[in-house]
Amino acid sequence: MSGNFLTHWNRSYVDRPTAEPANWPTGKPANGDMKSFKIVMWGLGTVLVLIVVVPLLRMVLAADPTILRATVADTEVIGSILLTLRCALWATIVCGIFGIPLAYILARWQFPGRSLVQGVIDLPVMIPHTAAGIALLMIYGRRFLVGKAFASIGLSFVGTEAGISLAMAFVSLPFLVNAARDGFLSINPRLERVARTLGASPWKAFFRVSLSLSWRSILSGGIMMWARGISEFGAVIVLAYHPMTAPVLIWERFESYGLKYARPVAVVLILLCLVIFAALRGIAAKRKEA
Amino acid sequence: MLRLRDVSVSLGDFRLKEISMHVKDGEYMVLLGPTGTGKTVLLETIAGMHRIKSGSIFIHGRDATRLPPEKRNLGVVYQDYALFPHLTVRRNITFGLQLRGEPRSKISRVVEEMGDFLDIGTILDRRPGNLSGGERQRVALARALVLKPYVLLLDEPLSALDRSTRDRLRRELKRIHREIGVTILHITHDLTEAFFLADHLAVMKDGSILQQDTPENVLRRPRNRAVAELLGIENLIPGKIGENGGFATRLGLVDISVPSSVPEKRAGDCLLTIPGWCVEVFPGMAGNHYAWKDSMKVVGTHSMDGQIELDLVHSSGEHLRTFLSRREAGALPVSLEKGRDVPVAILRDGVYWVPTIDHPSSYGR
Repeated sequence: MSGNFLTHWNRSYVDRPTAEPANWPTGKPANGDMKSFKIVMWGLGTVLVLIVVVPLLRMVLAADPTILRATVADTEVIGSILLTLRCALWATIVCGIFGIPLAYILARWQFPGRSLVQGVIDLPVMIPHTAAGIALLMIYGRRFLVGKAFASIGLSFVGTEAGISLAMAFVSLPFLVNAARDGFLSINPRLERVARTLGASPWKAFFRVSLSLSWRSILSGGIMMWARGISEFGAVIVLAYHPMTAPVLIWERFESYGLKYARPVAVVLILLCLVIFAALRGIAAKRKEA
Repeated sequence: MLRLRDVSVSLGDFRLKEISMHVKDGEYMVLLGPTGTGKTVLLETIAGMHRIKSGSIFIHGRDATRLPPEKRNLGVVYQDYALFPHLTVRRNITFGLQLRGEPRSKISRVVEEMGDFLDIGTILDRRPGNLSGGERQRVALARALVLKPYVLLLDEPLSALDRSTRDRLRRELKRIHREIGVTILHITHDLTEAFFLADHLAVMKDGSILQQDTPENVLRRPRNRAVAELLGIENLIPGKIGENGGFATRLGLVDISVPSSVPEKRAGDCLLTIPGWCVEVFPGMAGNHYAWKDSMKVVGTHSMDGQIELDLVHSSGEHLRTFLSRREAGALPVSLEKGRDVPVAILRDGVYWVPTIDHPSSYGR
């Protein structure tokens, strides 16, 4: 660039607004574009909501009340749903113990290979869950190293509740770790530093400041993880077909007896989950009072 | 009370280079420097948040170089105050006292006193989220002060406030310092703030401390060009020591005497530092108060809130800038319009000189 900005500006080839531009609004309300913008955005967004809601609603509404009542009374169904909720809960709790520190590390500390670790954490979302199940089987199976080690203390992962939890944890841990990491990231690190100058040890600063401020994010991530665990099918059937979790039971009833018998189980599971999640979401999203 | 000896820190791309400074007991020390010069890093280093590469820090006579922040007993107030958003004002203030396990009766008495002292007694049960900037600042101060810190470290505590709140809190800080007698290290880029508050001033740039002295001495005797520029001294006029003393400049001879103690290397080419307040239009004092007198042409006048900035040019082409209060401008025999020739003089008292080129190695003490 030669010459200075002002001389360029004064050159005649620079188009300078001399008269009113041709498309200057004339009398028309200026928010006409805004209106169509809003309509299109809302329209497209609504389609997605309907794609999720319509099938679920149809299934729930089509359920025959008498069959539904029978399903609720079916101990196999209820037992399998409780098993699913329990295993997913264990998976979430155990993952929390290891995942919250990891999330904190990822949020706060720089170290070589940090983005690699982050990528590894996201991996379970990407790989097919049946493949994840096979991978787990090859480590935790009775004939394999880690499986043998655990077997010696009486813990088996094949065909057991521990196996179900393990499969659930493997595929759903990114939800918890990422939510907790985002929670820690949203806290001003100066709050922790100030806490230290006020006499808090690193532990106390973590519990009284970092964790106190991010527990909603962590809880919300935990709910997501739990939900993802409940719905897990692929990894679970590879590692533990029995005892049957609800998704496996639905699949088995569909295979053996057909749609009519699979549907009520699905409906009961959906309704139960809906109630629990609505309640938990309520706690996690509750605004701090002013 | 606080002594730094050759403290070096490197933090990512950022470096603090062999910082030495001394804040005496009960002193109000202001660290002045432009944004991005490492002031906050230095403050956090003193508080124990960054690892020191070399050097040592002494707090209250004790080597604190390796002490964690919680063992240093320093109070920190950040520019954004860093109040705990999940706790009420009261719980914010008592955070440190509770960690120390102070008895409940003592805690509530201290909160009561501090509430009165800083006028925050009525907001104790609110949360930081709905406090004004000024209130937040008082709470942050209270939170640090209740622990009776050896040194209170303030990181640009007034920068985020609007002007009237800032002016009020500036006085407030002075009052706190006077009444409690706490030692304060205050970081700022604001000259007015620095001169208003400081007992002692340290000027910092690019990770080094350039000069440390009383504000008066720094202003009258800037050590080098960088300090003169940071202090906003309006006129830096190139000159040489003249044959019979004084400085030869394009304006002519500026008659200030060069102390005989001046080392030879600094007596060569130099810049005269002439603050705006030393340049007098229509000089009215006795002749021996002035180092230089001549006629200059007004080339620009800029009205500011309380004063008028004046650009003057000499027949040699040299420029000078000065300020007049509105009252002074109104009292002049002529109006100061552009193109008018006016008599101008430079007060002897206040003119100083610095080497033309700063040697970075001469930074520091």
